[in-house]
Amino acid sequence: MAVETVVSQDGKKLTIKVKGRFDFGKHQEFREAYERKPVRPDSVVVDLKEATYLDSSALGMLLMLRDHVGGEESEVQVVNTSSDVRKILAISNFDKLFDIS
Amino acid sequence: MPDSTLTVLIAEDGAADRLLLARIVSKQGYAVLTAENGEQAVALFAEQRPQVVLLDALMPVMDGFEAARRIKALAGETLVPIIFLTSLSEEEALVRCLEAGGDDFLAKPYSPVILGAKIKAMDRLRRLHATVLEQRDQITRHHHHLLNEQRVAKAVFDKVAHAGCLSAPNIRYLQSPYALFNGDLLLAAFTPSGDMHVLLGDFTGHGLPAAVGAMPLAEVFYGMTAKGYGLAETLREMNAKLKRILPVDMFCCAVLLNLSFQRRVVEVWNGGMPDGYLLSVDGREPLALVSRHLPLGVLAPERFDDSTQVLPLGLGERLFLLSDGVVDTSDDQDQLFGVERLRQVLVDNRQPGLLFEEVLHALDAFRGRSRDDVSLVEIRMVEPEALSPPPLIYSDSGQSAPLDWSLQFEFRAQTLKRFNPLPYLLQLLQEVHGLRAQSGALHSVLSELYSNALEHGVLGLDSALKRDAAGFAEYYRQRSERLQALGEGCIRVGLRVEPQGLGGRLIIEVDDSGKGFNVTKVLARPLIEQGLSGRGLNLIRRLSRHAEWTDQGRRACVEFTWDALA
Amino acid sequence: MTDNHIDRKVLSDLQEVMDDGYLHLLEIFLDDSEKRLSQLHEAKNATELGHAAHSFKGSSSNMGALVLAELCRQLEERVKQQPLYGIEDLINQIDREYVLVRQLYSDEHQRVLIG
Repeated sequence: MAVETVVSQDGKKLTIKVKGRFDFGKHQEFREAYERKPVRPDSVVVDLKEATYLDSSALGMLLMLRDHVGGEESEVQVVNTSSDVRKILAISNFDKLFDIS
Repeated sequence: MPDSTLTVLIAEDGAADRLLLARIVSKQGYAVLTAENGEQAVALFAEQRPQVVLLDALMPVMDGFEAARRIKALAGETLVPIIFLTSLSEEEALVRCLEAGGDDFLAKPYSPVILGAKIKAMDRLRRLHATVLEQRDQITRHHHHLLNEQRVAKAVFDKVAHAGCLSAPNIRYLQSPYALFNGDLLLAAFTPSGDMHVLLGDFTGHGLPAAVGAMPLAEVFYGMTAKGYGLAETLREMNAKLKRILPVDMFCCAVLLNLSFQRRVVEVWNGGMPDGYLLSVDGREPLALVSRHLPLGVLAPERFDDSTQVLPLGLGERLFLLSDGVVDTSDDQDQLFGVERLRQVLVDNRQPGLLFEEVLHALDAFRGRSRDDVSLVEIRMVEPEALSPPPLIYSDSGQSAPLDWSLQFEFRAQTLKRFNPLPYLLQLLQEVHGLRAQSGALHSVLSELYSNALEHGVLGLDSALKRDAAGFAEYYRQRSERLQALGEGCIRVGLRVEPQGLGGRLIIEVDDSGKGFNVTKVLARPLIEQGLSGRGLNLIRRLSRHAEWTDQGRRACVEFTWDALA
Repeated sequence: MTDNHIDRKVLSDLQEVMDDGYLHLLEIFLDDSEKRLSQLHEAKNATELGHAAHSFKGSSSNMGALVLAELCRQLEERVKQQPLYGIEDLINQIDREYVLVRQLYSDEHQRVLIG
């Protein structure tokens, strides 16, 4: 599966792992990863360790995720980013919206 | 589809065989047509259009092979399966059957079971083929619809975009005709005072969704630029608009420029686009204009950052902007062209006129083939006289122009922080027809007066800082800091319009609450210094009928006059 | 002896398929076969002879007349080689075989008609 989700014991922390190309083809799967969860998570982590590529539709998907979990009030972390991915996130200044590492 | 609607044509010259076949087939629930020879078979086919055909290979008058060829020709695009009835055993003969258009064989003696199975299989094939054709037609229809929609969208957009000045002599650009549908946007317009605003943007997505956001954006850009709004206000408005109308996952990366030819500076805002470059004339390293902001349409208005970078731009120096297609170009080994290679091309360039060609050539050489979806823009700093902004178009006849009035505004600290009164004042003055011919000068002068009053007067900034790029950066940092912290201070603007002879005059008075300055000393400074970093006092003098500073420089009084209108 | 010349299984299958058209089929076959025989005798060259033999082979195999079908097959093969030896002889054999099976089919026709 290209998009995997892991929910913590108490349902408060949701981790979404994206593998391969993070582009428009993942749209459906990514949405399903966070929608329709019984408990709204307190924190969300997007793990891009195995993501090879990120484009503007992925940025859009991250915005939708952030909006879904509370917008300005939310804290979404994007972790295990490769240097290429970090570069793309840096140009769009997404570090102002997400905690990127 | 029920089997009973299927019609099978049987062409067999032996009467007994024909009878037998007809019975086998009709017993299986199909409708049957029979023919004795190839000619009859073709005629029956043309008339009745059965779905499946059983043909004896050897028949008198016209044999099965010829009949098959003609039937296939008559069927055209539709698949009509043909099963050859044959006791031919030689390979060559069987190959002949297939080449003539046969889809299968049935050997004699006939086995009803096998025949039934083959007819069913052929029917499945036939229906599959029909479905494929129908879907193909549907897809073609939809495709034409889409193309048409795109054509309409582009036509509408071109009307909106026509107000621009991309054809100005100091701009060079390259854009694919499908740029709009890749989300690429390039806009350029003159402000009333002859400055130039330029926007290079990239919407997320492709096709109509990308194009749809471009229209409201272009309208805001052109509308506000024409009214004399600055970059910051225009940015705020564009961001708010996109945030409001676009879905959450859509946004527009953009780089915006404001070039002032009078003052030889450029103001830059880059949200999400690749680095732009400031190219010097004396071989200095290209200066990167880095993205410091989030793209437009992401942040709510109250969080939007409209702060810009201001840099000096000398005569002949250029700004080079590009869309992300350049740096992202990859070769067969998935290596990226990258920023370093691009910088090398910029550094190696000797003839400015060939810059585009050199960039494209480097891309072609790297990739092995050319790209047609890359946008490049180059804007040069020139003398203001080299440009001729189009005159403003007015829609009224002038019969009811206000010719004898005055008003006074007082803007206090809290207002100074967040409000730019210039567009409103200019709008007001445009009602006076006699002033329209001097619109450009009027706007330049008012802008200069207001910014002097605010920056040097109320905020107390030292124009001597604006000597180089680092100084500019510091100046504008201080400006932002002091404006935010402003607690007291005010600017008064008085406008008086009165008839004079057959024409009239406008008197502008601007007072600020600052410390003032030594007017004589500043006016005595060499022109160049004044132009870039001074108060532009000589500029104001040059553009108006009369200008003087009193109250130790805290009050500026400027006069414009006009003669009788034709 | 009759089992060699006509495959009874084929006949019973035909009867099942044709239902009440079985008798008609037998009649048509006999009628058609007369025509085929004439074609054989009246053929002017090797090609015509070969075609006639081929067709007769087909229809007789469908009706279960195995020996007849085999003789026709031999004739079809033989006419492809020059010079044409033993053609007359083969045609005579076909004539004789046909007379035999014609009787058998008539008997069959009778059997069904009565029974």
